[in-house]
Amino acid sequence: MSKPAQRTLPRLAAGAALTCLVILWVIPTLGLLVSSVRDKDALAQSGWWTAMSDSTQTVFERTEHPDTQIETEQGWVLEGRLEIGATGYDILRFGGSQRDPAAGAVGETVTLKNGNQLTVNADGSYRFVSPEKPWKGSRGKRIFFSYAQPPEFTLENYQEVLTKGRLGQAFINTLTVTIPATVIPVLMAAFAAYAFSWMPFRGRDWLFAGVIGLLVVPLQTSLVPLLRLYSDVGNFFGFEAKGYVGVWMAHTGFGLPLAIYLMRNYMKSLPKDLIECARVDGASHFEVFVKIVLPLSVPALASFTIFQFLWVWNDLLVALVFLGQAEDQIVLTAQLRALLGTRGSNWEILTSGAFITIILPLIVFFSLQRFFVRGLVAGSVK
Amino acid sequence: MSMRKTLALAVSAAVMSTAATAGGHLPFSKDDTRFSWDSLTPFESMDLSGQEIRFDGPWISGDEENLRNVLAYFEQATGAKVQYNGSNDFEQLVLVDMKAGNSPNLAAWPQPGTVAELAAQGELVALRDSVSDAVLNSYSAGQSWADLGTYAGPSGADDMYGLAYNVNLKSLVWYVPENFEEAGYEIPQTMEELISLTDQIVDDGGTPWCIGLESGGATGWPATDWIEDIMLRTQPKSVYDQWVSNEIPFNDPRIVNAIETFGFFALNDDYVDGTADSLASIFFGDSPNGMFTSPAKCYMHRQASFIPAFFDEAYKDKVGTDVDFFYFPAYAGKDLGKPVLGGGTLITMMNESEAAHVFMDYLTSPIAHEIWMAGNGFLTPHSGANLEAYSSDVLRKQGEIFLNATTFGFDASDLMPGAVGAGSFWTGMVDYTNGKSAQQVADEIQASWDAIK
Amino acid sequence: MSEHITSAIIAIAIGVFGILAYFWISNALLDGFIGRSKRANKEVLREQIRPWLFVGPALFFLFLYLVYPVFETLWLSFKDENSSQFVGFDNYLWLFKDPEFHTTLRNNVLWLLVVPTLSTLFGLVIAVLADRSRWGTLAKSLIFMPMAISFVGASVIWKFVYHYNGEGDVQIGILNALMVALGAEPQFWLSVPFWNNLLLMIILVWIQTGFAMVILGAALRGVPEETIEAAIIDGANELQIFFKITIPQIMPTVVVVWTTIAILVLKVFDIVLAMTNGQWETQVLANLMYDWMFRGAGDFGRGSAIAIVLMLSVVPIMIWNIRRFRQEELGR
Repeated sequence: MSKPAQRTLPRLAAGAALTCLVILWVIPTLGLLVSSVRDKDALAQSGWWTAMSDSTQTVFERTEHPDTQIETEQGWVLEGRLEIGATGYDILRFGGSQRDPAAGAVGETVTLKNGNQLTVNADGSYRFVSPEKPWKGSRGKRIFFSYAQPPEFTLENYQEVLTKGRLGQAFINTLTVTIPATVIPVLMAAFAAYAFSWMPFRGRDWLFAGVIGLLVVPLQTSLVPLLRLYSDVGNFFGFEAKGYVGVWMAHTGFGLPLAIYLMRNYMKSLPKDLIECARVDGASHFEVFVKIVLPLSVPALASFTIFQFLWVWNDLLVALVFLGQAEDQIVLTAQLRALLGTRGSNWEILTSGAFITIILPLIVFFSLQRFFVRGLVAGSVK
Repeated sequence: MSMRKTLALAVSAAVMSTAATAGGHLPFSKDDTRFSWDSLTPFESMDLSGQEIRFDGPWISGDEENLRNVLAYFEQATGAKVQYNGSNDFEQLVLVDMKAGNSPNLAAWPQPGTVAELAAQGELVALRDSVSDAVLNSYSAGQSWADLGTYAGPSGADDMYGLAYNVNLKSLVWYVPENFEEAGYEIPQTMEELISLTDQIVDDGGTPWCIGLESGGATGWPATDWIEDIMLRTQPKSVYDQWVSNEIPFNDPRIVNAIETFGFFALNDDYVDGTADSLASIFFGDSPNGMFTSPAKCYMHRQASFIPAFFDEAYKDKVGTDVDFFYFPAYAGKDLGKPVLGGGTLITMMNESEAAHVFMDYLTSPIAHEIWMAGNGFLTPHSGANLEAYSSDVLRKQGEIFLNATTFGFDASDLMPGAVGAGSFWTGMVDYTNGKSAQQVADEIQASWDAIK
Repeated sequence: MSEHITSAIIAIAIGVFGILAYFWISNALLDGFIGRSKRANKEVLREQIRPWLFVGPALFFLFLYLVYPVFETLWLSFKDENSSQFVGFDNYLWLFKDPEFHTTLRNNVLWLLVVPTLSTLFGLVIAVLADRSRWGTLAKSLIFMPMAISFVGASVIWKFVYHYNGEGDVQIGILNALMVALGAEPQFWLSVPFWNNLLLMIILVWIQTGFAMVILGAALRGVPEETIEAAIIDGANELQIFFKITIPQIMPTVVVVWTTIAILVLKVFDIVLAMTNGQWETQVLANLMYDWMFRGAGDFGRGSAIAIVLMLSVVPIMIWNIRRFRQEELGR
């Protein structure tokens, strides 16, 4: 497109608009990424966009055991130092009751409703005085305080989901599902696409029209008839109906219409002369396909490979139905959904879990994006 | 309830059991006297080696580990292999399998309502008399547990299809003892006292209750537990049973009244943390944590025995000290005794095999209960099981509430057909907190029930 | 774990080499057998058989995994809940009386209108803008990125965006934080009928815009320079050029993009399942079907009937798609 000088102003506006849109698109994922490395208390109490600033936490610690009290003129005294003092965090306010956890500023002495007096200093040392009666109970008394927690980033969340969340094993399982379920349909579709584009045979166009029709069949309808078939076959030959082979085949079946459609469109756009010359020279269709068409179709192959890879990796339904849900077969999406159900708002688990499930597709996607785009475009732009 | 509540159960052990060991080993030695090892002996004389039992259920993570221990002792004794498949989409997945003719041998259902439907469709195998005899003889209140698993088969004849295994206790109110102490509150012994305590807390400037109904696709179920608990405390058990079977319609004044009693607690902005119309947005697992903030957002939380799994990290292992529970009391003014609401799973046989029948017998033996009792998240009405096996005093105390109960009501929403108990009852409760009247909500639930008749 | 990986590698090898071996051996056999025969028309015969060797495996899979199940489902939709008795059109009659189905249909129509349209629109705008920006390529990558994220992953991402903490608490979901910053009331968005549908749709728009952008971007570059140059000489301004020249030229591609996304929309399932499971009036056909098939004791009759409705609703797009293909073939 030509860009005459008069377009400068729109160009600035375009840049601004584009920036806004990109920010809108990136923010949700950015939130996920930032949250997944935040400390989980901070995550639950402040927005991820404040990750770089202090967050205020209100908690309590217990005094020393009542056995350690000393009787003085003012009354019975519990003394010691809160652990928070050792961390170097700033203690902001403190209190001796959960109803009023911020009764006094550091260094002040607060008198509680029951007459007890509490002092907390900046270094965390405290003095709790009961003027009337000795301290009782089997545990230390609660001292409430708020403090400023500096921003803290951690990989603990990842460690937790990978081990407790079973995501490590699920990652391997997903790879086991994905690779064959990507390669097999690509090969099968390539042969079929070649036949549909360059081999004349009776009913070819009708068959291809049928393939296009199948593009729209929702795969949910296929699940039960297929599983029934699987279990019949499985019973007959004596193997489990659910397993990796079944999933590979299912993904192959479900992925084929799009694969054939995209690749045929691409192959059809190859120069006719090239193929006809080779044929005249005596090459069989098999040779033409392997030696000429296949190498030329790499962009389309690559594109569909990525497409299928993403589709299979991201699939939930097929994996739920055709694979067992035990540890040796569960896939990432299913495991993530399980976390979503059980860990509702444990965002540190969910965000790091989600990030693990999307990291590989993102890598594949960014490194192969060029091919992906080229093949998609060739398949659909007229 | 269900799926979500099961999830809740499922996650409980996951979080609580710190020792995340590989499942399926034999953690207890036969010298450990907490266990009734002699009940394992009959199985040791059987040789089922080479036989495989497929067992699907809702337990995952920590619960799965505990179950696998139970299975491991069976495997060791008999030589059979039990292939357990746990998933929190268990109910859907097992149906997919069933329709495809690929049913597991055994399946554990958190909703007896589904078991009733499956039994009528002829999808379940009647359990042997040895199992029903064991339930009648060794479960406390055996008849009620046998009834719970007994349904009409395809021919219309009643048979026992489900064995109750792993139950939970719902009539619990959780609180922070030190907060009660600090404010000078006593544990209420009657519903009247609970109501006056609720008012007292408001007068003192606090908020009595934390209630959260959000649970993803199952949002609303915590409220159904409230209704059920209130039904048991305001009506005789026979009315409860008729309500469950829809002999008394859902929009009967007695049920509407129970909904309104829940509303007394939940729809009063002074009584609940947040506002009444926001309850449906608070994740049920988060809501108890309001008790642990400073200042506390609330003083009490009514929820089942599995809820500690959702407590803040600092409180998870402090049940009994930093956080505790009391029995959701009954009205002193009504002569209905001490009713208890509970839930649990029913184990059914979907695909018959000799080994599976033997395994069901194993599940009625004390040892199969004790092994899980020694783990986490497990309560049992099996009177032959040694209470010493419980891994904590907390579980023992909950076990006692079970034993002291004069009436036991099984979670009604789990007994109702799925479209009601796991559908309109849930959504109706959400509508109720969002401002619809109790009568209108009850009418709509009854309409949805009529639609599936 | 390592045995797991080994078996995966073996499986990949078997799968890949199996397919290759099939094609190679079957072709060799064909050449060998017919090559040795003494029949005069052997070359013709060979070329009649070979295409079927090429398309055979694909057709087999397509038939088994897509065609046969469709007929099976149709058959089941006329039977009762456990497929034991023939009930005629009962399931369909029930369906059309069911109020939930009405809500579901309304939602599906909304999805069908909103998602493809917004995705196409955003895709087009971004494609145009990126073309005239220095960092256009990077921008396009970032917009395209959600394509790589699973629906379940996207649901987590967006659930976090829409997250609601009780009133008075700090909002950690960015949408509610914005509401509070603007002085409005935070909301539990997913439970607000109508708006919640829109919020679920945004997730799919977010995912699909990249696809629209890429395809439309390529189409834009395919618009011949001369026509634009000519228009500039005629004194047309940029907007006029865009609407009067560019848009009509890329219209066929816009339609392709729109329909591709529309087909995807009808099958959408994971997002609704993970976000609301159809509660608060957000049900869609695919999820409703899954629900009926597998909720409680499962009702295959009704589930299948919903599946058939779902398929029928896609038929117009399918027919249109096939007709377009046939026209193209004529045009070639």
